[in-house]
Amino acid sequence: MSTNDPIDLRQDRRQWLKTSATVLGATLLPLPAVAAERSQAETAPAAPEAKPAEAKSTARFLTPAQHTLVDELSETIIPADTHSGGAKAAKVADYIEQVLHESFDDSQKALWREGLRLVDLMSRHYSSKSFVDASQEERVAVLTVLSNNDHMTDLPEVRFFIEIKRLTVRGYYTSKMGIHDELEYKGNRILQEFVGCDDQGPASS
Amino acid sequence: MVESEANLTKTYDAIVIGSGAAGGMAAHVLTSHGLQVLLLEAGKKLPIERELRSMEWPYDNPYRGSLPPDQHSLTFNEYTIRNPPYGPGFEKAKHLKSYVGNTDYMKNIVVDERENPFTGTNYAWVRARCLGGKTNIWGRLALRLSDYDFKAKSRDGYGENWPISYSDIAPYYDKVDLYLGITGVKENLPYLPDSIFQRPTKLNCAEVTLKESLAKMGRVLTQYRAGVTTDGLKHNKYRSRCYGRGACERKGGCDIHAAFDSPTGLIYPAMDTGNLALRTNAVVSEITVDPKTGKASGVRFIDNQTMKDYAVRAKVVVLAASTLESARLLLLSKSRLHPNGLANSSGHVGHNFCEHIMGPGVTGRAKNLIGKPPTLDDGRPGGFYLTRFRNLADKHPKFIRGYGFEGGSGSTMFPHGTDTPGFGASFKEEVRKNQGAFISMGAFGEVLARYENYVDLDSVVKDKWGIPALRFHYKFGDNEHRMAEDMKETAQEMFEAAGFEIVHVRSRVLTEGWSIHELGTARMGSDPKTSVLNQFQQSHDVKNLFVVDGSAFVNASCQNPTWTIMSLCWRSCDYLADEFKKGNL
Repeated sequence: MSTNDPIDLRQDRRQWLKTSATVLGATLLPLPAVAAERSQAETAPAAPEAKPAEAKSTARFLTPAQHTLVDELSETIIPADTHSGGAKAAKVADYIEQVLHESFDDSQKALWREGLRLVDLMSRHYSSKSFVDASQEERVAVLTVLSNNDHMTDLPEVRFFIEIKRLTVRGYYTSKMGIHDELEYKGNRILQEFVGCDDQGPASS
Repeated sequence: MVESEANLTKTYDAIVIGSGAAGGMAAHVLTSHGLQVLLLEAGKKLPIERELRSMEWPYDNPYRGSLPPDQHSLTFNEYTIRNPPYGPGFEKAKHLKSYVGNTDYMKNIVVDERENPFTGTNYAWVRARCLGGKTNIWGRLALRLSDYDFKAKSRDGYGENWPISYSDIAPYYDKVDLYLGITGVKENLPYLPDSIFQRPTKLNCAEVTLKESLAKMGRVLTQYRAGVTTDGLKHNKYRSRCYGRGACERKGGCDIHAAFDSPTGLIYPAMDTGNLALRTNAVVSEITVDPKTGKASGVRFIDNQTMKDYAVRAKVVVLAASTLESARLLLLSKSRLHPNGLANSSGHVGHNFCEHIMGPGVTGRAKNLIGKPPTLDDGRPGGFYLTRFRNLADKHPKFIRGYGFEGGSGSTMFPHGTDTPGFGASFKEEVRKNQGAFISMGAFGEVLARYENYVDLDSVVKDKWGIPALRFHYKFGDNEHRMAEDMKETAQEMFEAAGFEIVHVRSRVLTEGWSIHELGTARMGSDPKTSVLNQFQQSHDVKNLFVVDGSAFVNASCQNPTWTIMSLCWRSCDYLADEFKKGNL
């Protein structure tokens, strides 16, 4: 995480926002001055560094506010639809909390702290609202910028998006909701006879 | 099953070192001939059903089936960039495992890399020190070799022929089929002989599409020939027939033992003869030699847990510790009469090391299956095997020997397609719509046996028990890289011909060792100057020493080796028992 210097990245991000503006259309611009962004960064709810003693006693990695943010982010990545519930219903944020709490990877933890802060900052930048307070369309707009630029892995917010998508996918498709309601998985049962194309051809068409 | 205590004061008829496919088979055959056998296993006897938990849902597992966070399994990148021994640089991980140990179900089956270091060239060396060894987690593709393999030198001039022909081993393949059970479909291929198959699995729709398309090209796709009993085995009370229990695409063990594993398939029945004693946690450090006769007299071992030294005697020593561990033990067993290591007057121990190259392959989508309701594609031991087609009738201009593909298709518990770009409602729908439409295959190709690919002992690095580590001098060569290029091209062509949408073509060759099919470090042959063992896997130098695992292979062929290891071992142990009774050993 040697590239995790906020000043350099903020400059990079200006460049990157220019690029993404052409992707998204002009609605999300104009670009703010660096100074304005910096002042927002200072007022944005920074992820508090968990003190070792605290971490032991509370056994949480995410603060309640961060947990809510993860809940909304994961739901934006895998939302409820008419077919099945989404990441929120599948309690993906709890899964992510567990993974991070138990992780021995300090760089992963640092990425989550920084990523949550930066995503919220982006939301404030685009809609003047925190991600949690933003509308569905505003949330999608923020993640669209990150998703459409997922090759820009020098940026921590991009790496964070890749990471939260990975864990959301992992958490969702290993949950009861994901396996049974969403995918209607038919396996992991006792079979009297193997099933092949002849057996499922007519039934599945 | 009566587990008989090892009596270390007794002279056994035979000591078998290693309890995997080869060691289990040796124990089975020798005890069935009435020999008193001591089976030594370096690891412990695991409560294997509790490890494998074939039917556990991920949401009922504390880590959703992943490795606990205090453990790490090596990745392709780590194998590529970092050098052996792979211990340093992973200090935060309490246990460090090979790439196979990447789930909560495998973590106790494969060894800790730090306790078992090796040096030299990069190698993904997968070791399972526990009763049954790698048979607890094998991919269970069970193929025969043919004279296209045994007499490959006669066809293309490269390497050496085996000292046996297909007709020598065919009766033993039959015995293994009948004793252990195998599923598949007869195809009457001269280069891939049929087994005596039990009830076959069924191909799903995308696989049928591919099979029909390949038939027009003169190529053969057949149901996965799995070392799995689908009809049951009346003579074995420890194994159930396959009833599709569990998510079988989660490779790595079958907790009802429908898939062959050495303990339930071979070792427990051998114990029931009353002729087998088992000593687990016995890390063999040396095969001892009678200084007068030069013959093997027994072994020395270290208790895995207490670190205490023991010696035990036998009239015959049967080495079955796996291709690389067996070579290591021969090299470790130096004495005045055998200064280069035991059975090594030829200097070939550790050499001619070969295996299968893998990595190239293709993933596609059957467009007609996109958006169809979910199907039941799981619960079978495997999908399909696409048989070798190179260098059979014609001669490829760029490489010799051949390769085959393993593949499968359909819905899986954890869906394919989660690497779909994007997020949100459209992402979720994409994954749902495509989940049953994916089809994928990857190639396994023959790595040529070359003298210059070898292992020897490291002069400095030792394992946890103070035993010198193995040092690798092993790289894929030009023939393998040219073959890998062809694998990638033909994979794509065949999927395109079948009308699949190509999702991803893999050209990356995986790290040496990835196939877990290491072979050939103590090859058989009729000339004691250029081979270590005769056609009965008996040492040319030491008459009462047999090496019955994959190290005896003369070449790797492109077929998965387990069924051949066991068939060869059965044949050799029949010979061993016969010679033993005649007093010739």
